[in-house]
Amino acid sequence: MTEKMIKQQDFEFVEKDFSEPASTKIKIKIENVGVKFQDKNGIEPVIALKDVNLAIKEGEFISLLGPSGCGKTTLLRCIADLLHPTSGKITIDGQSPRDIRLQKKFGIVFQSPVLYEWRTVRRNVCMPMELLGLPKKERTAMVTKTLELVGLMEFGHKYPHELSGGMQQRVGIARALAINPELLLMDEPFSALDEFTKEKLHVDLLRIWRKTNKTIIFVTHNIQEAVFLSDRVVVLSPRPGRVSSVVDIKLPRPRALSLKNTPEFNDYVIKIRNSFEGV
Amino acid sequence: MNKAKKLLLSKKMIILYWVLGLIAVWEVIASIVAVTKRSPENVLPHIYQVIASVFSNTMAGPTKTITQIVISNAGMTLWRAAVGFLIGMAVGYILALLMSLFKTVEKVAFPYLMIIQMIPILGIAPIILAITKDIDASRIIIAAILTFYPVSTNVLAGFKSVQQEKLDLMFSLAAKRKDVYMKLMVPASMPYFFTGLKIAAPMAITASILVDTLQGGGGLGCMLSQSLKHAMSIYVFWQIAFLSAIVGILSFCLMGVIEKILSPQRKAKL
Repeated sequence: MTEKMIKQQDFEFVEKDFSEPASTKIKIKIENVGVKFQDKNGIEPVIALKDVNLAIKEGEFISLLGPSGCGKTTLLRCIADLLHPTSGKITIDGQSPRDIRLQKKFGIVFQSPVLYEWRTVRRNVCMPMELLGLPKKERTAMVTKTLELVGLMEFGHKYPHELSGGMQQRVGIARALAINPELLLMDEPFSALDEFTKEKLHVDLLRIWRKTNKTIIFVTHNIQEAVFLSDRVVVLSPRPGRVSSVVDIKLPRPRALSLKNTPEFNDYVIKIRNSFEGV
Repeated sequence: MNKAKKLLLSKKMIILYWVLGLIAVWEVIASIVAVTKRSPENVLPHIYQVIASVFSNTMAGPTKTITQIVISNAGMTLWRAAVGFLIGMAVGYILALLMSLFKTVEKVAFPYLMIIQMIPILGIAPIILAITKDIDASRIIIAAILTFYPVSTNVLAGFKSVQQEKLDLMFSLAAKRKDVYMKLMVPASMPYFFTGLKIAAPMAITASILVDTLQGGGGLGCMLSQSLKHAMSIYVFWQIAFLSAIVGILSFCLMGVIEKILSPQRKAKL
C-alpha cells in the first residue's frame, strides 16, 4: 500500500527528449504466438493468429495495422490478458501478461469510449484509482492532472451523454492514464470519429505520449493514422493472421499535421499500401 | 403554427386528452344507464356524484361516513401491499444476484421461477392463509410473491446487458468481484431494476386488494365485496374502484420519481 502511494506521488510527466537515442530495452516479447478459435460446429477451427513474432521496445509507439479479420485486435487482447494464446508465449518485462494485469500496469482504450453513464467525467477518470484503493486526495490530484492533459478541465462535472464523441474518447484516454500504466493499449480508439476530430486527437495523443513516456500499442485499419503516429508499423495480413512486414517510420518528431503533406509521409503510406496489394 | 401543433401533441396534452375522453365516455354511458336502469340503486353513477360522495356526511356504518370507511380500509390494504412489495423486492434482488454470481443457481432456479408466477394467485391465497393462519401475513406474502418475479427477471436481464467492454475494463484493472458488482453491475442495471419495480408496484396493490376479497378481516377488497353483497352503499364501491386505480397509477409514478432521484445522469438530462 505505502509503496503504491509513493510510486503515485513520484509520478511526474517528463518531457520526452528526442535528441537522445530511443531506449533499446525490450518491453514486450511475442514468440510464435498463435490463436485458434473453435468453430461453432467444432469441425474446423478458425486460425486467428499464426506464428506471430514481435519485440516491442520500451517507450515505443507501435501500430498494429491490417484489414478487419487480420487478428490485430486478437493480438492486442492477448497482450492485455483478455485472451489466452493457444500456442506461443508473450512476456512483458519477463513476466506473463496475467502478472502485469494483476499489477495493474495496463491502460486500455477501447473502440467505443466505454464510459459509465451514471458517473461524471471526473468520477469516470477516478474509477480505476478507486479500485487501486488510492486515497482521495491523490485521486483528485491525478484526475485534475489527466483531465488537463487531455484538455477537458472545464468538463469534469458533465455526464458522458453531454459530451461529443471525441470528448468522450478523450475521457477514455484520461481514465487509462489515471493509474499511470506502463503500457497503453489502444484498440481502434478513433475509428468512430470524424476526420477533423481524429486529426486533432492524433496530435493530442502524440503530445500525451511525449509527456508520459508510455509504451503505446495502437490497433488501427487506417494506414495514414498508423504512419503519422508510430515509430514502427506492424502490418498484419489475414487468413491466417500473421505479421507480413514491419515498417520503421523514420519521420522526424515531434510531428505536426503538416507532415501529412510531405512526400516522405506519402512514400511510407504508398509503401505500406503496396505491401497489402502484394498479399 | 408549428409551435401550437407541438404543444397540442406534447405528452401532457395527450394525457389530458385521454382523461377527458374517458370522462366523456363514462358520462355518456352513465346517462344511458340512468335512463334505462331497472334497479333501485344507481348502478353507474355520474363522476360528479362519486366526487360528491367523498365529501358527503352520509353514514355508511354505525359510526363512520363512506369516506372514512374507505380511507381506513385503504390504509390496511396499502400497508400490506407496501410491506409485501419491499420483501418481494429484496428477495427478488438477492435471487438475481445469486443467479448472476453462480451459474448453477441460474440453471436450477430460473426456468422454474416462472411456475410460481403461473399458479393463479386466487388458488395460492387460501393455501398460504392455511399455512400462516394469519390474514395479514398471508396477504403480505402474496404481494411479495407477485413482486419478486418481475424484479428478479429484470435485474438479471440488467446484469446480462452490461456491455462486454465495460467488463473487460474491470478485468484489465484486476477488479475484485465485489467491486465489479458495486461499481459496475449494480449501477448499470438500475434502469432494469426500476422497470421491474414499475411492473411490480401496481401488481402488489392489485394482489393485496384481490386477496382481501377472498378473506375477511378488513381491507379495500373486503369492503368491495361487502358493498356489492349487502348493497352497503354503491358509493363505497365506486370510491374504492377510483381510489385503487389512482393509487395503482401513483405507485407506478412513484417508482419513476425515485428512479430519477437515484440516477444523477437523468436529472442532468432534465
